[in-house]
Amino acid sequence: MTARLECEVLVVGGGVAGAVAALAARRAGTRVALARRAPGATALSSGALSSGTDPTELPGAFLGARAGVADSARRLAALRPRHPYAVAGKRLDRLEEALAFAAGELGSVLAPFNGRHRWLPTPYGSFQAAALCQRTMVAADLAEARGLLAVVALRGHLSWDAGMAAASIERSAPLGGPRAEVARLDFPMWEEAALWRPHELARFLERPGAAEDLGGMLRRALPPRASAAVFPPVLGLSPGADVAGRIAAAAGLPVAETLSDVPSVPGLRLQAALEARLRAAGVEVLPGDLREARGPGRPARCAEREVLAPSWVLASGRFVGGGIVRRGTLVEPLLGIPVAAAEAFGGWGAHLAGRPAASLTHRDWRTAQPLLSAGLASDALFRPVDAQGAVVHQRLFAAGALLGGYDQASDGSGLGVAVLTGYLSGQAAAAGGGLAAAPALGRPLGTLGPGGGKGGGA
Amino acid sequence: MDRDVIVIGGGVNGAGVARDAAMRGLSVLLLEKQDFGVGASGNSSGMIHGGIRYMTSDRRVTALACRDSGYIRRIAPHLVFRIPFLMPFVSRRDGATLLERATWYATEVYVGTYDLYQPLKGGKPSTRLTPEELYAIEPALRPGLGGAVTLDEWGIDAFRLCALNALSAERHGAEVRNWTEATEVVREGGRVTGVRWRDALTGEGGLARAPVVFNASGAWSPALGRRAGVSVPMRPGKGVHLTLDRRFSNYGIICTAVDGRQMFLMPHENDSIIGTTDDDYYGDPDDLEATSDEVEYLLEGVESLVPGVRRARVTRAWCGLRTTLYQYGKNEDDLSREHLLYDHAAEGAAGLLSFAGGKLASYRAQAEEVTDRILLLLGRPPVACRTHQEPLPGGESLPDPAELARRHGVARAAAARLAYRHGALAEEVLRLCDEDPRLKLCLCRDEGILAAEVVWCARHEKVRRLQDLRRRCRLGTGGCAGLDCARVAAQLAAHELGWDADRVRAELSDLLDLDWRERRAVLDGAQLAAAEMARAVHRGLGAL
Repeated sequence: MTARLECEVLVVGGGVAGAVAALAARRAGTRVALARRAPGATALSSGALSSGTDPTELPGAFLGARAGVADSARRLAALRPRHPYAVAGKRLDRLEEALAFAAGELGSVLAPFNGRHRWLPTPYGSFQAAALCQRTMVAADLAEARGLLAVVALRGHLSWDAGMAAASIERSAPLGGPRAEVARLDFPMWEEAALWRPHELARFLERPGAAEDLGGMLRRALPPRASAAVFPPVLGLSPGADVAGRIAAAAGLPVAETLSDVPSVPGLRLQAALEARLRAAGVEVLPGDLREARGPGRPARCAEREVLAPSWVLASGRFVGGGIVRRGTLVEPLLGIPVAAAEAFGGWGAHLAGRPAASLTHRDWRTAQPLLSAGLASDALFRPVDAQGAVVHQRLFAAGALLGGYDQASDGSGLGVAVLTGYLSGQAAAAGGGLAAAPALGRPLGTLGPGGGKGGGA
Repeated sequence: MDRDVIVIGGGVNGAGVARDAAMRGLSVLLLEKQDFGVGASGNSSGMIHGGIRYMTSDRRVTALACRDSGYIRRIAPHLVFRIPFLMPFVSRRDGATLLERATWYATEVYVGTYDLYQPLKGGKPSTRLTPEELYAIEPALRPGLGGAVTLDEWGIDAFRLCALNALSAERHGAEVRNWTEATEVVREGGRVTGVRWRDALTGEGGLARAPVVFNASGAWSPALGRRAGVSVPMRPGKGVHLTLDRRFSNYGIICTAVDGRQMFLMPHENDSIIGTTDDDYYGDPDDLEATSDEVEYLLEGVESLVPGVRRARVTRAWCGLRTTLYQYGKNEDDLSREHLLYDHAAEGAAGLLSFAGGKLASYRAQAEEVTDRILLLLGRPPVACRTHQEPLPGGESLPDPAELARRHGVARAAAARLAYRHGALAEEVLRLCDEDPRLKLCLCRDEGILAAEVVWCARHEKVRRLQDLRRRCRLGTGGCAGLDCARVAAQLAAHELGWDADRVRAELSDLLDLDWRERRAVLDGAQLAAAEMARAVHRGLGAL
């Protein structure tokens, strides 16, 4: 048994929200521990960090003329009062500062923050906005790229359809984006390579000579006038291998990869960068479930160690991360904090957490789904509140998807919320509460039940 | 383009009649407004069973179903699998009341009587299990049971059964059109003379002429009849099933629901299925969804014998409408499972036949009876039915999965799956991998769908929309809700069927819409996390 770990801030959750919170608290000079069960939903993300676009923007608006990152977030906040951007109130003004902080901390993979959205192609014939993207994606920014993008088709790669990615780019052309043309590469295809998953292909391209060969092949297949080349999202798992740079050098033009679905090489790369940065910044990372958790100021256990911290940041995610689960009713499993749910029409609050799933969803899957916006309600400092609206604990903060009030899939603000709330909650936790030390208003955590409900999925 | 007969509806009855009529030399047009089996057939329990439930009331139904399930095993041996069932005694031997003893005795006689039918369908005779034997083979059962009796049933992929009948009809010269709606039954001078149709995908339409029209549109029949000015009495009953993410029990288990109805939990292919409800349905057959209370009713019923079911992951809730015969004043369960062929001549529509009732297991015999009648209406001499002798496509022989796997270099489980779904044609499917090794890619780790199967179905099984692949090869029906397979399968289908990027997006969107309707009543636990993940990709990233 190793010694008890005492620190100022304990962060629960190792995705973008938790990592940014830990790094922000560390930057403030505190000792920080981060407990994480497994790589978070970040490893399954597209690889870029979107902060949400202006919902009032016309679909035909030129990409270069669209609202910037900060303005988009303000408009989202104005339209959606439960969104963490709206809950943040005046502190939403610090979104750009938070994004610049994240870009700096994760500079090994992320391109610098420039205040506006980058519009990036996907394998689905669509394009998406990102406030922060990886360096490997910049050359495919449809708001900046000009002329003709060569979309690379790899003959050996069955799950990649260059035509779909080209359609993504062509869709942007009427909005001031570039044109696209498919360039077919006779990528070496043999028995086992034919069945490679994206991460296996990414590992292969890291080998000495592989990226150079591919770049040479690309140079020969390039359409005339191509200004950049767009690849499937397989350009290496490790940023150090610089697969994109090596292909670009061999091909003689900038190269980029699209955003990814699952399994996501850029997502894995981002997750690895988070973990590397946490270690380099001196955050104590504890791999495993947090057990016997009773809240800030009381010892908990993780990875065979006892941890004690006066301030906590919960960044345990929503359903994929496991920060919220539904077992017949919606539950926050770690501390039993009441979960606020939204009805299909209207209401919002912890009293709805036990409603049947069908009552919390809309039939049309394309619309925002209230059930998927369930999460903790909080005060303006992102301190979770109970069913009566009272702060659960003065030094307990939340960050990321654990906070409810928005459906990530429909407003696209998921990782922007993670960065903003992680940054603010990390700083507030490091400052010891953010408010003049006042007696705790909420009930002691030990009395909160696990939320009840029978059965549920495993 | 004059035909002998136009069949409306591509469920098991429509496809079965189209096949039989074509095999007997008639010229046939089959119109299905969506895809084969989308209604009651494909959404049935997936059993070729003898209907022990009907033995006391409709013994003829049981006998017919048992005989015909024997035939179905002969013509589609690859597609039929054995499901042994347990019917547990819910009380202990010691201290049993007289009533309980009488119940045991009655159950034994009941199942023993059913044994008389087993030779017809090739099932094993029932066995009496002591409590010790029962718990040894099915430890998940709640304690305190007094043993069980076993009975043998057969499972089938009902969507494929419908598609294979339609494909066989086509091989015998029928024109088979899915995604083509019969918009109007045309009548002239007291007779039907044809059907107006419209292709839902191309918008193309036309008038097909025939002296006989067979309306096998299931729950849609009353509405179609009303448009044609005839009455098709029916009491549509909604049946809901749940799918669990794995084989949750070793055997089928017959349970009793809260209201005393018989229901079941059974292993079926890779999953388990819980079924079923039976409630009158007066709504729109095109707008059918399982509700939270139906899900709860089914789970509660199984929980009474298998308490662990509350920890199971329910992946989908799906439903169909039984086309039960009309009777006033009876409970749904007590309605006859007999079938009835309506001849609308007396209503001024000579040549128009409508079908109601019946069972999946008896579909072939029902089709034979209808085809006999069609020949009579056409004034043709009788021709012998051969549908019980000639195999359905792929049913000619049963390939050895190990041998297939070895020859084509794929995993044995993947080969076994193809052998089950495609029978003798599995070899042809795998031959695609020899030409293009990329087609060995496993699109779905849940279902084990190889890319080759998607390509094969798109080429040879009348796939017109991406959602047709849900029924041909269970695409996107697993726990991950299409996260792994949907985009790649859409790209493969696009390559085969000439879809552009916009069409691929429309097809994906349609597939996911259908998927959401089967999921939203059961979003809980891990399945809710899966839905969040899939939405993040399809809606968030793909903007579908």
